Amino acid sequence: MDLTKGQERLLDRGTPAQRKAMRILVALGEMNGARNLVAVTSAHVSGASYKMIGDPGVEFLEHFARDARVAVPTTVNPMGTDLRQWRDLGIPRAFAEKQARIARAYERMGARPTYSCVPYEIGVRPGLGEHVAWSESNAVCFANSVLGARTNREGGPSALAAAIVGATPNYGLHTLAGRRPTVVVRVTTKLRGLDYSLVGLVAGERVGDGLPFFRGFRATEADLKWLGAALASSGACGMFHLAGVTPEARRATTRGLPTIAIGRADLQAAKRSYTDGTRADIIALGSPQLSSQELRAIARLVDRTPPRIPVWVFTSRPVRDANAGAVRTIERRGGVVLADTCLEVTLLEHRFGTVATPSGKGAYYLPSLCGQKVILDNIEALLERYA
Amino acid sequence: MKVPARRIAPGRASATALVCPVPFSFVGGADPVTGKILDQDTNCAGKRLRGRTFAFPHGKGSTVGSYVLYGLAKRRSGPAAIVNAHAETIVAVGAILAGIPMVDRVDVSGLRTGDRVVVDADAGFVELPDVRAIPVVTAILRNERRILIMRRSRRVGSFRGRWSAVSGYLEGDEDPRDRARREIREETGITGAIFRATASPIIARDRATAYVVHPFLFDVPTRRVRLDWENVAGRWIRPADIEKYVTVPRLKDVVSAVKS
Repeated sequence: MDLTKGQERLLDRGTPAQRKAMRILVALGEMNGARNLVAVTSAHVSGASYKMIGDPGVEFLEHFARDARVAVPTTVNPMGTDLRQWRDLGIPRAFAEKQARIARAYERMGARPTYSCVPYEIGVRPGLGEHVAWSESNAVCFANSVLGARTNREGGPSALAAAIVGATPNYGLHTLAGRRPTVVVRVTTKLRGLDYSLVGLVAGERVGDGLPFFRGFRATEADLKWLGAALASSGACGMFHLAGVTPEARRATTRGLPTIAIGRADLQAAKRSYTDGTRADIIALGSPQLSSQELRAIARLVDRTPPRIPVWVFTSRPVRDANAGAVRTIERRGGVVLADTCLEVTLLEHRFGTVATPSGKGAYYLPSLCGQKVILDNIEALLERYA
Repeated sequence: MKVPARRIAPGRASATALVCPVPFSFVGGADPVTGKILDQDTNCAGKRLRGRTFAFPHGKGSTVGSYVLYGLAKRRSGPAAIVNAHAETIVAVGAILAGIPMVDRVDVSGLRTGDRVVVDADAGFVELPDVRAIPVVTAILRNERRILIMRRSRRVGSFRGRWSAVSGYLEGDEDPRDRARREIREETGITGAIFRATASPIIARDRATAYVVHPFLFDVPTRRVRLDWENVAGRWIRPADIEKYVTVPRLKDVVSAVKS
């Protein structure tokens, strides 16, 4: 690979962490046919939940943090619990302590001390054509598709390596060729609410690691957040286009591509197939974390139809802090609003067995990552059912 | 036997091989403290990674595997070297974090548990000092989606009566592609073959010897074949039909190596 003088220097004479980070980037670049590294303006690192990375992760991060320092603004994915509320949630002390060590390690490296899967909703919004190195599949999908920024689906360590160096291997979604659609997905039914998650789940299953070009519906940025999160879970997609909506759709050519259609029956079938529970122990909202607008909407709904089972709402710390009124309303109705953590990386299996959620991504991961049965439905329907 | 390999993580090690024939996950696949293999599908459950050259086709499973590999190395329970057929991110990153020499593009099915293996990632090779290599070329000839197989005569030195493709021994420092072209002319009389693809060598192992097969794919303009003494019959078959023939070892793998 062609390295700049500065990059050569990091590889040969950098700190131990810089040398290791450069080796990771060069190896991944060579494995994927990259000719060089491209400078990035931000990094987003997954792998902060103790539940997910365990003792090997704690050990590595603490060792790495001794001399690793990020070179670009870096955000970190949700943790395994909300460190300000873990006692109330019945989280074991040992778990919370290990979790706190992970947070300290990232903060020592210079990462922003907020743990979110939606960096794009807490002020990190790279522009059209801007290169970033993000892991966390929903954030990758949003950055590429909705913002027109450029990132591959980085893994946790590779995004961390990119944060240390300030660059990432230039291949795949960083290149124009890598952003071309590979399949047209025609949606033949009108979409609202949960439908966006369902379209994502169905499309992801069918296109695998392809790059879908959607037609046939309009969507707000919030709708695309839920669609992308589901798409990036059931499929290995890092990007999609939506005709008339996403910024690079107009330049994309779809001539000669295979077409698949998704209709109402497909969405109903997906909703059924992702539901294997019968009686929910908890309603959980998140995955990805809720925006301010979404949090306030949930507060209104919960206030109108208070549920008789626990409601856990996941959001980012800045959103929780900025919406004290909505948080109070939800708490008054028996719910909790958790920050710095999220649905499937949080510890909830110590208390619950069946989760009801409107999140397609949540429905996809809860069985494997949390051993939960799932009920996937609209939030309005869930609140009425458990009122 | 010495075969070329691609460096993934730097370093050099000499250690006894532990060969796992299936993709491996370090999360759940091995005990994170002792390095004992837990995955029953690996043929080596119960064995320990410590001090071994761990050879497997490629990694799979959770990305936390990178950290597990790091933790093993830190406890000195990790492998001395890693050899893959094709590296993927999880194991590659783990090997770099752990400081374990790692190479890929090696046909790990040619290695046996217990082989002495030298892995030199920096120089880009894997060497098995106790195994004698017999380097050969095999050229798959393709014409309109059919490939040529030929039945070996009774006058050849090995694999008499089996089905094979154009093949021949490599001599000295000869360029494998040149040898392949010469064998095509001699064994089929076909001229104008167009080179299409090659791949890492396939290792057809027979105890202490190994045929190191350099695979090639050529497109040819005709199906008219003029056999020489080495073969008694030729047939143009669909690649999928190769299963139906009794072939020389690993011919199917040679075909899929150059076709993918």
